[in-house]
Amino acid sequence: MHEQIGEHILWHWAPLTALGRLLHLPAWFDLGELHADTLMTTWLVMLIALVFFAWIGSSYRSSYVNKRQTVVEGVINYIADLARSTLGEKGEPFVPFFIALFVFIFLMNQFGIFPFKVLGLPFGGSPTADLNTTVPLALIVFFMTWIVGFQRNGFGQLMHLAKPFPGLLPLNVLEELMRPVTLFARLFFNIFVGELLFIIIASIVVAHVKVGSFDLSLAAAVIPFFVQFFNFFVGTVQAFVFTLLAIVYLSLAMGEEAH
Amino acid sequence: MTSEALVAGLTLLAFGLIIAGVAFGSAVGDGIVASKAVEAIARQPEARPNIFTFLFLGVGVLEAFPIIALGLAFYMLLVVANVPNLLQHLH
Repeated sequence: MHEQIGEHILWHWAPLTALGRLLHLPAWFDLGELHADTLMTTWLVMLIALVFFAWIGSSYRSSYVNKRQTVVEGVINYIADLARSTLGEKGEPFVPFFIALFVFIFLMNQFGIFPFKVLGLPFGGSPTADLNTTVPLALIVFFMTWIVGFQRNGFGQLMHLAKPFPGLLPLNVLEELMRPVTLFARLFFNIFVGELLFIIIASIVVAHVKVGSFDLSLAAAVIPFFVQFFNFFVGTVQAFVFTLLAIVYLSLAMGEEAH
Repeated sequence: MTSEALVAGLTLLAFGLIIAGVAFGSAVGDGIVASKAVEAIARQPEARPNIFTFLFLGVGVLEAFPIIALGLAFYMLLVVANVPNLLQHLH
């Protein structure tokens, strides 16, 4: 089959390769090897989001409330209310971050519906079906919770690792380290398996399986239509889950001296 | 039996076991989540939107683990053992 699983178009950027050599990284770990399709799709998603929100924002010049403002404000208020009710008053500065996180992940998940890659263009597919997108997103959330925690509580933040009693310290450290891992694995595998399903169905269609006079491959060709709906649902739910878990982790890090 | 046939057969067996376990576990888990949500809505119909949020959140968090297992199973089947390739070379 032409389509390979987890195969990406590569860009080689010499400065980063040289940096990797300076750091004495192993030969198989090439820093300058960039996934061109993931990068270009991410830029395209950013461009779409910028143009869309500029279009929405430009309609705020008049005091007349139109339909598109109502729709977008519905989504944004939902996330904002969720963040405010979980984080409280002190979470107000972080509300735009969570809205941006949700919109960005949602758009990246749903971008995979366009068959650009099949048409031979160098971009397409969901950028979130690549570990290079989901790992940094999870690391952003991880470092943000720790930095905000240190800002609020100083080094007392480290005390909550030994909170119920000090014997639980290794378990708490393990839990803290597993959070970003489950965060990126959840998003990555959900979107990746959604794309993998199409390849599996394509291999069934290509194999020409026949049971008597009944063409099983022809029947399997209908399935992608329904898988697309499933992927839309999964992409929305996973973007929401990622945002909500980021809110919950931040509230756990901040909530120590709230009361 | 050649070693290739043994590898292909055992990988397929492991793949089937993973899929079976994952389907069973996630079906039971989703059933518990949905039944508790229905109970909660029946007891407090006015809390329905709130319960729906947490229903989808629970399903989203829970459904990730079978999908991670599915992804790793396919990784084992198609990349580590490369069963389609093995089967072609068997005869």
